[in-house]
Amino acid sequence: MSSHLYAYGVIEAEDLELDVEGVEGEGPVQTVTFRTLSAVVTPIDDVDVERTDENTRAHDEVLREVMMEGEGRTVVPMQFGMAFKSARTLKSVMRGGRRAFRKALMDVDGKVELGVKIVGSEDGALTREDVAADVSERLVAVSDEEAENDLYSERLLFNRSYLVDRDAQEAFGEVVSELEDDYPDATVQYTGPWAPYNFVDVEIEAQ
Amino acid sequence: MFLLDDILLWPITNVVDVLHSLAVQEMYDTESIQSDLKENQLLYEIGERDEAEYERERARLESELDAAERARERLSDKVVVQR
Repeated sequence: MSSHLYAYGVIEAEDLELDVEGVEGEGPVQTVTFRTLSAVVTPIDDVDVERTDENTRAHDEVLREVMMEGEGRTVVPMQFGMAFKSARTLKSVMRGGRRAFRKALMDVDGKVELGVKIVGSEDGALTREDVAADVSERLVAVSDEEAENDLYSERLLFNRSYLVDRDAQEAFGEVVSELEDDYPDATVQYTGPWAPYNFVDVEIEAQ
Repeated sequence: MFLLDDILLWPITNVVDVLHSLAVQEMYDTESIQSDLKENQLLYEIGERDEAEYERERARLESELDAAERARERLSDKVVVQR
C-alpha cells in the first residue's frame, strides 16, 4: 500500500475515521495529527491527482461530510490537488503553517459557505447592476462575509459566496426563497453547504 | 556583434511580438473555453440543457480546450517576425 496521502483540509485535533470515498475512490477518510491540528486525508498512489469531475466532487463530498458528521465541526479546506509523499511531509507542512491554520480555523469557526447564482432568462431585461445591489444587500444582512465570483457567462447575473453561521443557514435559505419569488424571470441556484474555500487564505509552500 | 541590428529591430520585434501573442491569445483563448465549459455546466444544472446536449457540448469544448492548450504551448515562445 502506498504511504502517499491526499489532504482535504484541516480541523481541530481529532481522531476521525469516516466511511466515505475520497479522490480516486480511496478510503477510509482518516486524520493525521500534529499538536492541535489534524489534517483530513485518504491514501493515494500518485502525488499528481488528475482534476476529473469525479475527483473534484469527491474532494467536496469529503469536506462536506467532515463538516456535517456528528455534531459537525469547523474545517479549513485545502485546494484540490494537495498530495504529500508521507505523513511526515504533511506534518512538516502543518508545523510550518500552524499559525495560519489556527487563524483560519478561528475565522471560520462554526461557519459554512453557501453559494448563490442568479441566471437571467435568454431575452431577459434584468441587468447585473440591478440585481447585484438588491440581492447583495439582502444576503449580506443574513451572512458574515461575502465574496464575489467570476461571472463567466453572459447569462450569469450574479455569482457570490457567503460565509454563514451554521445556525443561520435557515434564515439565509428563507432570503434565497424570497429572491426566487421576487425574480420570477430568472433562475436562482442555491448551493452548499461547502467548506469555506472563499474565506480562508492559507498558502502552503512546496517542500 | 549585431548590436546595431538589435537596436534597430528592437521596436519592430516588440510590436510584432505583442501582436503575435495577442493573436495567439485570441485564437487559442483557453480562458474563454473554460468559461464556456462552466456555462454549459450551469445551464445543465438549472435544467436549460438536457443531458445529451450537455454531454455533446462538453465533449466538444473539452477537445477544443485540449487543442488550444497544446497550440499555446507550441507557439508561446516562438516569435514570428513579419516584414
